Amino acid sequence: MAVEYDRDSGKLVKFTTLSNIPVKTLYRPEDIKSLDYKRDLGDPGFYPYTRGIFPEMYRKRLWLKSQIACYAHPKETNKAFKKFIASGQTGLRILVDTTTHSSVDPDHPLGRYDISCNGNPTFAITEYREMLADIPLENVDIESACALAGGSFWTYLFLIALMDERGEDISNLRGTNINDPIHAAIVFGCPEFSDDQWELARKVNLDLIEFGAKNTPKWFPCTPCGYDMRDAGINAFQELAFCIGNAIQYYGDAIKKRGVKLDDFRPMVFSQSIEADFFEAVAKFRALRRIWARVAKERLGAITPRSMASRIGARISANSISFPEKPLNNTSRITLQSLAAVMGGAQSIDLAGIDEAFGLPSEEARIFGLDSQHIIAHESSIPLVVDPLGGSYYVESLTDKIEEGTLKLLDEIDSIGGMWECLKTGWLVDQFNKTTISLQKEIDEGQRLIVGVNAFKGDNGPISKALKESAYPVPPAEERKVAITKVKKLREERDQKKLVDALTSMYTAEKDNENVIRAGVEACKAYATVGELVGILRIAHGFPYDHYGILPTPEYLKHLE
Amino acid sequence: MSANQVKIRVIIGKVGLDPHDRGVIVLSHILREAGIEVIYLGRFQTAESVVKAAIEEDADIIALSDHCGVMPEIAEDVIKESKKQNAGDIPIIAGGFIEEKDIPVLENMGVSGNFGPGTSHKAIVDHIQKLAAKRYG
Repeated sequence: MAVEYDRDSGKLVKFTTLSNIPVKTLYRPEDIKSLDYKRDLGDPGFYPYTRGIFPEMYRKRLWLKSQIACYAHPKETNKAFKKFIASGQTGLRILVDTTTHSSVDPDHPLGRYDISCNGNPTFAITEYREMLADIPLENVDIESACALAGGSFWTYLFLIALMDERGEDISNLRGTNINDPIHAAIVFGCPEFSDDQWELARKVNLDLIEFGAKNTPKWFPCTPCGYDMRDAGINAFQELAFCIGNAIQYYGDAIKKRGVKLDDFRPMVFSQSIEADFFEAVAKFRALRRIWARVAKERLGAITPRSMASRIGARISANSISFPEKPLNNTSRITLQSLAAVMGGAQSIDLAGIDEAFGLPSEEARIFGLDSQHIIAHESSIPLVVDPLGGSYYVESLTDKIEEGTLKLLDEIDSIGGMWECLKTGWLVDQFNKTTISLQKEIDEGQRLIVGVNAFKGDNGPISKALKESAYPVPPAEERKVAITKVKKLREERDQKKLVDALTSMYTAEKDNENVIRAGVEACKAYATVGELVGILRIAHGFPYDHYGILPTPEYLKHLE
Repeated sequence: MSANQVKIRVIIGKVGLDPHDRGVIVLSHILREAGIEVIYLGRFQTAESVVKAAIEEDADIIALSDHCGVMPEIAEDVIKESKKQNAGDIPIIAGGFIEEKDIPVLENMGVSGNFGPGTSHKAIVDHIQKLAAKRYG
């Protein structure tokens, strides 16, 4: 039977960007006639940093090649870290398993399903020693990828405690902490620090910023995270506005209440998602730098130009590559998205695995992610020129459009009273619910085509099948018991008096509304676990010890209740 | 009574600590649009709390969501709890990140659906309607 040939099959179906910005067929000089080079763009390295934050950009310093490399156990993770460093990885991303991430210990009744899932169980300093064995921590770029507020808190404590133990200088701790409790609350629930007024979350957020400014100046203590919010289903305007809105909230509070200055910090770091829409991603990064420069100068009192600059940590949207259909296609998606990050002037890039739909990336998928960046860096000649799309009628016009929409939302956030109020009043949740559903609807109704999923379907061939089989699988149930045995052993072996003394000091500091970071570091050295580090703060505020309402306060801390 | 005459009630629960709930938020919306009543219990449930709610709400179906890849363990606990609370007749469906090797394991346990990312909404709605029709005979 003859196959009917339709030359129009596969024609374009959508004429707006991913965030539904209407796009014309052609852009001409009149589309950017109000653009003033010095005012709106500036040369790279100069205010308002639209074109990039360094004059020579990638010629002087390539982006950080940073990928999550955490596996089911700390020892396994340590081995992976070393291997990836040898393959040219320049940043370490620490990610813990879902149980630890939720600030409970492996033997918590609710935690047993998720031990060793999505990362390693690092519930105490003993596990950090294993995970980071033989890897110096001074002047190495470390990203704490613990998105929840509790995780941002104790990851920092453990790193400082480990450096203290090894005799390393903590002022040389380098890297970033997420410490973005509003995004954590909206995306992950974040019950560990939640209460009606979010007072505990706000206090810990500011403690981390204040302690960081004074003691670990090369460490960025709070990096508003657009990535997770975007993946939860919002558009580019919302991602930028909530991210910048959070930065205004946290740093504004720290300036007002803790006596720090924006000039105390290195350029701001924003974590951003790279979505499938190429030009929108590039324009988003450019708009972010311009908006932040003005906010830092005009609203947050930055005086030194470098405090008005912002660095972008870009990560490929997991949503864009988590389909099990024809996963080989993810290689194209990843290439395009990493290219957008480089064209947009990102400072660090984390490429998700091509096997993202099937589990944690296999070792080869991670190396592929690294090599893709090496290919862009060294084979394509793309990084030789700063902001190569600058001046394009389309890209400049799109940058303006994104800025305009973002500023409108920022005004709305201001009128509500800042991002904490947006969270408390439910405005933020409504924003998410609205767009999450409409984005999904577009795919369901075929208004947006995803190759292999709702268009151009086909079978998985041998390469795709192999990809599926080589992804790092969820560890079997027996492996999860390892961490339970370990935490029980730790509890038996540690010096109970030292532990209780250290936790009591933490309790007192928190109760007296002092900065609790130093006391927390000492508690880590006394082998406090994540469950205890969070529980002690909770009882100091009069909340139940266990944020899931299951465990009672341990006997040895009952006297503090 | 047929499934067309009564509104089907689905309880959606996330057992354990997996926080990813974009899927269930979208799913709740789709099911409601299809005329199905949805009670989403929220994150961080226990097997016990899901079954208890299913009984109290007189649910026709229990839907479980997980993105950590441990659905067989979660389902096993929910089934055990259903039997304990004399609710073993409520069908259980699952979705989220489910490894291929786990699908037959879940089917053997009596857990159906086992929908992964990218599943069409129609397939999920049809499955639920079929299960409910069977339940009402």
